[in-house]
Amino acid sequence: MSTREDAARDKEARDAADIARFRRLAELDPADPARAALRGELVADHVDLARNLARKFDRRGDQLEDLVQVATIGLIKAVDRFEAERGNFYAFAIPTIMGELRRHFRDTGWAVRVPRQLKELHVTVAAGRNELSQRLGRAPKPSELAEHLGLTKEQVYEALVASAGKQGTSLDARLSEPSGDRFGYEDERLAEVDNRRALGPLLAELPEREQRIIVLRFFRGLSQADIARRVGVSQMQVSRLLAKTLERLRAALGEDTLAG
Amino acid sequence: MSEVGTSPVVRAHGVRAVEVKVFADAEQVPLLRSFAADIAMRLDFDLDAIEDLRMAVDEACSLLVRAAVPGSALACGFEPGEQVITVRVGVDATGPTPPSADAMGWQILTTLAQGVTERVEPAGGGHRVTIELTSGPAGIDSP
Repeated sequence: MSTREDAARDKEARDAADIARFRRLAELDPADPARAALRGELVADHVDLARNLARKFDRRGDQLEDLVQVATIGLIKAVDRFEAERGNFYAFAIPTIMGELRRHFRDTGWAVRVPRQLKELHVTVAAGRNELSQRLGRAPKPSELAEHLGLTKEQVYEALVASAGKQGTSLDARLSEPSGDRFGYEDERLAEVDNRRALGPLLAELPEREQRIIVLRFFRGLSQADIARRVGVSQMQVSRLLAKTLERLRAALGEDTLAG
Repeated sequence: MSEVGTSPVVRAHGVRAVEVKVFADAEQVPLLRSFAADIAMRLDFDLDAIEDLRMAVDEACSLLVRAAVPGSALACGFEPGEQVITVRVGVDATGPTPPSADAMGWQILTTLAQGVTERVEPAGGGHRVTIELTSGPAGIDSP
């Protein structure tokens, strides 16, 4: 019996236990203290998932703890909204948590002081982008935005560049760069090294469309709807392909920590 | 070390070719990817294509920075065309390992750019490693 099969069986057993717990949660009275305890337990048992997803959004390496908190809020929402009849909790929790993280980036304030006029321009351009994306079925060009909004191209450029100022980069960030040998530190991702090494060849074996979907989802962080538009399939299909591909990768890695 | 040179002749959309030279250091990579994004914006790429190019340049530079001889330079050339941009990045590397040896990084790069080629050649007792990528407003999402 290979460890891979063992792991797959373990995972199945855990998934089944999860479903049973969610059923119980739904049956308990909201006022019952046992319900709060079970809810807390379910959140605690999946906090690794929230942490894993938060890490994918931590591009600069200096805001992980904040992001883990945001992701945990997403996880709590997922626990509260999940219906056991829907099957796999992970398939429901992952998009919920990613949505929470994405919203966090969209809503948090500007890290750099940007003139108010430019902030307003940014909002206008962002709205124009959404409108035109809908209408064109693709992302608009700066020239199209300018024409649509009655702005000059330079104004659109300014707004697009200003958007980058929504997130600053800490001067300390460079100290935690992988190349920086200025300070010693324990690499939190060390435990992932094996998986990461193993993942590359596995990704390369996927059909081209699946590869593209995986990269757009987890590297670019696009929503399923955006991916659907760009790959030219329905959102339902993207969701199905993602689930199938992740399942395949997980099975090949012989474990389930590849939660995102 | 940070040098920027622009071509005397204006290319497409009033944009010139640009050569940028920086220290082959991870902290310089954001500078280069901003250059790429700004040029693509002025070439009137659609916003998705701009973002794809930004990330592709980031990945290409990151792959090379890891291989570069410490203290050496990362040279990055942006050649704008009609509906296309070619980005060429090169470093002096400590070994002849091609960038594609990093399976994950190469995967990301080839997904985000329309065309990617790599070259490893002997140079002055060491190795010159170059990545050339092309990208356009049709982006990776041409239906």
